[in-house]
Order: sequence, then structure tokens, then C-alpha cells
Amino acid sequence: MTTLTDRYVWAAARTLPESQRAEFDRELRERIGDAIDALVETGSSPDEAERAALTELGDPAALAAQYIDRPLQLIGPRYYLMWWRLLKLLYSIVLPIGAAGVLLGQLLSGADIGEAIGSTVTTAISIAVNLGFWTTLVFAVLERTTAGAGQPGIAAVWTLDMLPALPEPAKTSRLGELIGSLVFLGIFAAAIVWQQFGVVFHDGVREPTPLLDPALWSFWLPYFLALIALEILFAIAVYAWGWNWWLAGANLVLNIAFTVPALWLFLTGQLISDEALEAMQWPWGTSGPVIVAIVVVVVIAASTWDVIEGGMKAYRAGRAVPAAMTGPATSGAKA
Amino acid sequence: MNLDETTAGHLQELRRGTVVLACLVRLRTPDYGYALLESLNTLGILVDANTLYPLLRRLEKQGLLTSEWNTDEARPRKFYRTSPTGELLADALMTDWRRIDDALAGLTTGDES
Repeated sequence: MTTLTDRYVWAAARTLPESQRAEFDRELRERIGDAIDALVETGSSPDEAERAALTELGDPAALAAQYIDRPLQLIGPRYYLMWWRLLKLLYSIVLPIGAAGVLLGQLLSGADIGEAIGSTVTTAISIAVNLGFWTTLVFAVLERTTAGAGQPGIAAVWTLDMLPALPEPAKTSRLGELIGSLVFLGIFAAAIVWQQFGVVFHDGVREPTPLLDPALWSFWLPYFLALIALEILFAIAVYAWGWNWWLAGANLVLNIAFTVPALWLFLTGQLISDEALEAMQWPWGTSGPVIVAIVVVVVIAASTWDVIEGGMKAYRAGRAVPAAMTGPATSGAKA
Repeated sequence: MNLDETTAGHLQELRRGTVVLACLVRLRTPDYGYALLESLNTLGILVDANTLYPLLRRLEKQGLLTSEWNTDEARPRKFYRTSPTGELLADALMTDWRRIDDALAGLTTGDES
């Protein structure tokens, strides 16, 4: 007949290496037997005593792990920091490179933009899951590999050289600004190219009508694209050096170089293509001049604000040397 | 509520090493797990079965205890005895224990004066 004790001992011993089982089996039976006897002496029935003694012992797997000093965590303190640092490193290097590679490959092979983004996201998720899983697996195995006596295992010895340099606080907050600017400028440049292939909708159907006058490709559109490239360099310069009066001046020049030709083209009717105007059924009755005025005021206000903000940031940075830059990314908001 | 838990935690930490010392000293005369548990608790060295049994195993693995199965009775029992290495460790631990005791005593009288 199988007793509860037999079942308990089997459940505990099966998690141990074969070589240790016989001895462990004997020891555990001794312990359980003595505990039951003690309970019976206090007046319990043998059945009750057995149940109570085994309940007291708790989860057999945990008990067995305690007997042979088996770790009950996936990755213990010896390897945790190494695992965590490696994972962060992999995620910050392999993941972006992999995702960018997939995106580039998709775009080069002529995939539709939505499809390219979709497969990039899927691949990025799969890369992330794989990196996490395999790294963790290796460390979990290491955790369970006993190092020779007196050896620290493969744990890297921490030295003073590994102390991180103090981050420049302003630079950290400028990073957000840089990313915002780069994303905005990238989208803007893509939009200029993209509009050529039609963003005008007519009765819910996209028509291959360029929004901007194709004649502008002879000079003005490349000019604006070049300005965007300069804006990107400008955003990087702001990130690297922080705002100063030179950069504020460059910001003013860039704004003028963008806004003045754009408004001139807009007001002289050279900006928007005739087909697009026709598709939009321009002019919209009597509201035409009002809309034109609104557009002009908004564009001028946005550039003026951008110039003023640049000046304010340069002024603040000049006053307080470790100034924290917390303004939202507005450079390039003159579109 | 948290204070009780904190106290219990610190008491456990304070006692951890003393259980090893008590086992090494007590097992100069061989004995088995349950009898050792009973006698230590009777002496006022409070230890839990879940702590003691794995501890005996670990001490044996470290060569501080030797063991022998006694099969004279119906239930085979593993008798542990302090090894010569265990004796040396017990002496070292005991010396240190006394030193700490003296130091703490000095600290306390220093407070009172």
C-alpha cells in the first residue's frame, strides 16, 4: 500500500540527481518518521500525525532544493547584474540595427510603406523576444553550473574603470529635442517627395495628382530638401553644443531662408499645382482670401516664435552654465 | 506590525551562526536529527526543523560532521558526530563568540557610565 509518506518522499526525491536519491530517501523517511512519532506522542492519531507532519514539511520540490542547495531563482545575485547589463546592451545595439536593416531591405525591394513598417515591427518584436530568451537561458544555465571550489565562476570582476561618466544633464534633456526634430524633419522631407505621387483625394479615391507644382522640381523643391538637410545638421549641432548665440543666429537665417521663399511661392500661386487646386475646387467661394491670410499669419507666427525661442534658450544657456533645456521640440515648426 | 517582522528577521540573523556552533559542540557525542532538535530547543537554542536538517547535511558536506547509519532499531537513523575539522571550527567560533560578548558587554557598561 502506498502511504502519503511514500508519495511525499518520491515527489521530493525525483527532482534530485540519481546518485543522491537513495541517501536522501532514507534521511527524509527518518525525519518524517520522527516527526510523526512526536505528534502521536502528543495524542494525535497516526493518520492525522502523518498529514500534519507532511504539511509542515511543505512543498517537496522546495524541500529537496533546500537539501542540496539548489538555487530557487532563475538568475541569482551572482549573475543578475551581468545579465541585466548585457541585455540592455543587446537591446540598445542589436535591436535598432536589426530593425533598421529590415526596414531598409523592405524599402529597397520596393515594398509598400505600410507593409515595410508592418514587417519591421514584427521582426523587431521577434528579435527582442529571441534576445531576451537566449540571453536569459545562458545565464540560467550558468547559475546552475557549479564553479570549482574557490572560483568566483565567470562573474566579471568590477573595477573602478567601469564607473560611468556623469551625464551632462542638459545634454540628456536635449536628446529628446533632437529626436523630436529629426523625426519631424524626416517626415517633412518624405512628405515633399511623397506628394508627387498624389495625396489629393477626390470622392474618397486617391488620385495621382501632385499637390505641389511639379515645375518646382527644377529648383525650389530641391532647395527645400537641402534646407531640411541643413536643419538636421542644425538640430545635431544644438544637441552637441547646446544653444548659444551663434546657433540662435543660424536658426534665424534658416527660418528666413525657408519662410520667405515658401510664402512668396504660395502668394504668387506657384506653390500648389493647378491639378490639385482643381481637384480641391479652389477657390472656395468667397472664403479664399481669408484662408490665404490665415495660412500666411500662421506660417509667419510659427517662424517668429521659433526664432524667439532659440534666442531665449541661448540667453538662458548663457546665464546658467549647466542649464536644463526642457522646452518642447519646436525647431522646424514653420511648415 | 512591521516592527515585529523586523525584529523577527534580525533575531533570526543573530541566531543563524550560533546554531552551527551549538550543533558542533553538542555533536561531540553522536546523535540523530530529531534528538538533536529536541535537545537544542530544550536548552533554549531555538531552531526550526526546516533549518536544522539541511544544516546538518551541509555541515557534513563541508567535512565538519561525520555520519553513520544506525540500523539497530526499526527506523534507521543517521547519527552525526563532530569531526576533527569541526572541532577546530567550533573552537574558533567559540572564541569569536566570547570576544563579541565581551565587546558588547564593554559597549553596554560604557553606555551606563
